[in-house]
Amino acid sequence: MRNVKEIMEQLASIAAHPEEQKSAYLAAGRKVVLTAPVYTPEELIHSFGMVPMGVWGADLELKESKRYFPAFICSVMQSILELGMKGAYEGASAILIPSLCDSLKVLGENWKYGVPSIPFIPMTYPQNRKPVYGKAFTKKGYLRVIAELEKIAGEPFDDKKLAESIEVYNAHNACMREVAKELGCHPEITAKERSAVFKSAWFMRKEEHTKLVEELLEALKEQKKEGEKLPIVITGVLADSPSLLEIIEKNGLMIAADDVAAESRQYRTDAVKDENALDSLAQKFCAMDNCSVLYDPDKKRIPMIVDMAKECGAKGVLVVLTKFCDPEEFDYPLLKRACEEAGLFSILVEVDRQMENYEQAGTMIETFREMLSETK
Amino acid sequence: MSEEMKKKRPAPDPNSAKFKLGAIAAKAYADAQEAKDRGEMVGWCSSNFPVEIPETLGLAVCYPENQAAGIAARGGGARLCEVSEADGYSNDICAYARISLAYAKIKDAPEQNMPQPDFLLCCNNICNCMIKWYENLSKELHIPMIMIDIPFNPDYEVSEDEVTYIREQFWDAIHQLEEITGKKWSEEKYKEVMEYSGRTSRAWLAATACARYEPSPFNGFDLLNHMAVMVTARGKKEAAEAMELLLKEYEENHVQGTSTFRAEEKYRIMFEGIACWPWLRATSTGLKSRGINMVTTIYADAFGFIYKDFDDMCRAYAKVPNAINLELARDKRVKLCKDNHVEGLLVHTNRSCKLWSGFMYEMSRQIGEACHIPVASFDGDQADPRNFSGAQYDTRVQGLTEIMESNKEARA
Repeated sequence: MRNVKEIMEQLASIAAHPEEQKSAYLAAGRKVVLTAPVYTPEELIHSFGMVPMGVWGADLELKESKRYFPAFICSVMQSILELGMKGAYEGASAILIPSLCDSLKVLGENWKYGVPSIPFIPMTYPQNRKPVYGKAFTKKGYLRVIAELEKIAGEPFDDKKLAESIEVYNAHNACMREVAKELGCHPEITAKERSAVFKSAWFMRKEEHTKLVEELLEALKEQKKEGEKLPIVITGVLADSPSLLEIIEKNGLMIAADDVAAESRQYRTDAVKDENALDSLAQKFCAMDNCSVLYDPDKKRIPMIVDMAKECGAKGVLVVLTKFCDPEEFDYPLLKRACEEAGLFSILVEVDRQMENYEQAGTMIETFREMLSETK
Repeated sequence: MSEEMKKKRPAPDPNSAKFKLGAIAAKAYADAQEAKDRGEMVGWCSSNFPVEIPETLGLAVCYPENQAAGIAARGGGARLCEVSEADGYSNDICAYARISLAYAKIKDAPEQNMPQPDFLLCCNNICNCMIKWYENLSKELHIPMIMIDIPFNPDYEVSEDEVTYIREQFWDAIHQLEEITGKKWSEEKYKEVMEYSGRTSRAWLAATACARYEPSPFNGFDLLNHMAVMVTARGKKEAAEAMELLLKEYEENHVQGTSTFRAEEKYRIMFEGIACWPWLRATSTGLKSRGINMVTTIYADAFGFIYKDFDDMCRAYAKVPNAINLELARDKRVKLCKDNHVEGLLVHTNRSCKLWSGFMYEMSRQIGEACHIPVASFDGDQADPRNFSGAQYDTRVQGLTEIMESNKEARA
C-alpha cells in the first residue's frame, strides 16, 4: 500500500501536466473533448467512451487572446482562448462551452474564430431550471450536445451506457465529498496538496480518479493527524494559484471546507433515478444550487457558506475573487455582511491568472491569520 | 454649455415628435409615481423584458437602466457608483447595476427619482449580469422577482425548443403577476397592445431607415434618446402616434433638404455600443465638429418588434442584440451599414458590458471587411464617468476621420 505522500505526488504530477494526460489518452486511442467552466454534461462525453478534460485556463501571459477579448473579461476565459490559440489543446475533438455567464457566452463566439481547429459545442442551460419546462429545456440542450458527440464518436448515443457513466460520476462525487471532509481534518496536508486532489480530477477519467482518491482516503485514515493550523473556509471560482496556496500554508491556515467552483461545487449534486438516464442527467442540473452562476433570488449560497464555516469549526472565510468575474462579485457584498452578522471574519483577495506579485495578497492573508488567532 | 448658448436654443415645439417622445418618456416616471401614490404596486423592469406583459396587465413599471442612464447623463453616475462600491461592490461591475443598487439603498437621486418597487421583472436576454443585479435587489428589498430566462442563442435561428421554453415562462410570469398584483390578463387588451407595438415598431424601423438618404435627415444621436420610448412604451397608442410623427418629420426633412444634424454631413458612420451617457456631449461634439453623422446603430434594428402572434413574440425577444450569436449580430450590422451608406464604424468598448464588448473585436473586424470600411474603437463606459478618456476618444475619432477622408479621395 502506498502512503499519502506517494499518492499525493502522483496527483500533483497529473494536476501539473494535463498535456501528458491528454497525449496518453490520445495514444491509447481515446478521443478527448474539452469542457469549459462551470458545469457541463461530462457524463454524456463519458458515455461515448471519450475523455472529458476540464479547461480552466492557466497562469500565463496573455498575448494572442488580446486580439479577441477586451481587458475586462476574466482571465480564466482569456487564458483558455490563449492556450487554444497557442495549440495547447491540439488533438482534442471538440470543446463544450456552457453559456452560464456572459464571459462564457463570448468565449464560445470567439473560440469559433480563434481556434477553428477544435469545434465549439455550445450547451445552453436554462436559468429557470426548477419548473418542469426547465428540465425539458435542459434535456433538449443535451440532445443537441449528443448530436455533436455522435458525429465525433461515429456511433449513436446509448442511454444504457449513459446510465453506467452516471454511476461512475455519482461514485466519484461521493468520493470527492468524503476526501474534502477528510482533508479538512489533516493539518499536515498542505494547501497545495489539497488543491492537486481536486485539480487532477479535471484531467482524468473519473473511474481512474476515484480509484486514486479511494487509495488516498485509505492512506489518510492510516496517517497520524499532525500539526496545528487555523481552519478556514475558502470560496471562489478558482483557488489553484501556487503562490496563493503557499501564502495560505505559510500563514498556518487549513482549508477545512471549500465553496470553490472548480473544487467542491462540482460534487454536491448526484444524478438520481428517473425515467431514463438522460432524464436523470437533466434532473441533476435542475437540482443544482448554491452557485453564483445559477439563478437564485433567495441567495441560498450565502447562508450555506456561513453554515459550512460553522460546521467545520472555521472562524473565517477567505474569498478568492477572480478579477472581472461578475457573478462572484455580485455575491460578495452579501457574503461579507452575512459573515459579519455570524461573527465570522472574511477577507477578499482578488486574483487573476496573470498575477505575479502576491505581496498584497500575502499581507492581507497575514492580517486575516492574526484576526483568526485572536479569537482562537 | 454656457448660459448664452442656452438662451439661443429655440423653445421646443410641443407639436414635434421630439417633444412628444420626450414627454412620453417623462410621463412614464410620473405615471409610476402616481400609481404608487394611489397605493398600487409598482415594478422595476429590465429593458428587454417583454413590455407586453405589464402593459396588458395594466401594471405601472419603471426601468432602472433608463434611470441609471438618466442619472449618469446628468452627472450623478460616479456618486451613486461610489455608494455601491462602499458596500463592497467591485468597480468592475456594470455601472447601471451599481447605480441602481445604490438607488435602492439611498432612495434618492435628484437627477432622476422613481418610486421604489414592490416587485421585479427581470429578463436576461441582454445579459446574465441582469440576473445577479435583480437577485440582489430582490434580496435587499424583500420583494418578489419574476425571471424570464431567454438564453444567449449560439445558433443563427431561434429553435422551436427555445420558443417553447420562453412561452412557458411568459405564461408562468403572467400567472405569478396576476397572483402578486391581483390584475388579470385579457386577450383583448393583449391584442390591442400587440397592435400598438407593431405600429410603433414599423414606424421606428421606417424612421431609422431614413438614414439611407444622403444627407441623412436626422442626427443619429436622436435615436439614443428616442429608443427610451421604444423600450418602455412601445405598446401604447401615444408611442405609435409619436413614432409615426417622427417618420413623417424625417421624410419631410429629406424632401426639404434639412436635417436634425446641424452641420454639414461629410462622413456617415455607424456607432456600436451603448451611449457613453456621462460624456454624451463630448462624444457627440467630437463627431459633429468633424462633420461626422452617426447615421445608424444596432438600436435601429433591435427595437423593431414586429410579430404576428404570441409564439412569434417569444421569438422576437430571443433576437435582441445581446442574445444572438456573432454571425447573426454581424449580418444585421452589415445590412445597416450597407443600407445606410456607412463609411466608418466607431466602436464603444464599454467596460460595463462584458457581453456587448466581449466579441466585438472579432465582429467589428468582420464588419469592416464585409463593408470595406475602417473601424476605430474607444474605451468608455455607459454610466461610470471614470472609465473614459477624452484625449483617447479624440485621437481615435481623428484616426477614423483621416481614413474615411483618404477613402473618399481614392473614390473621387
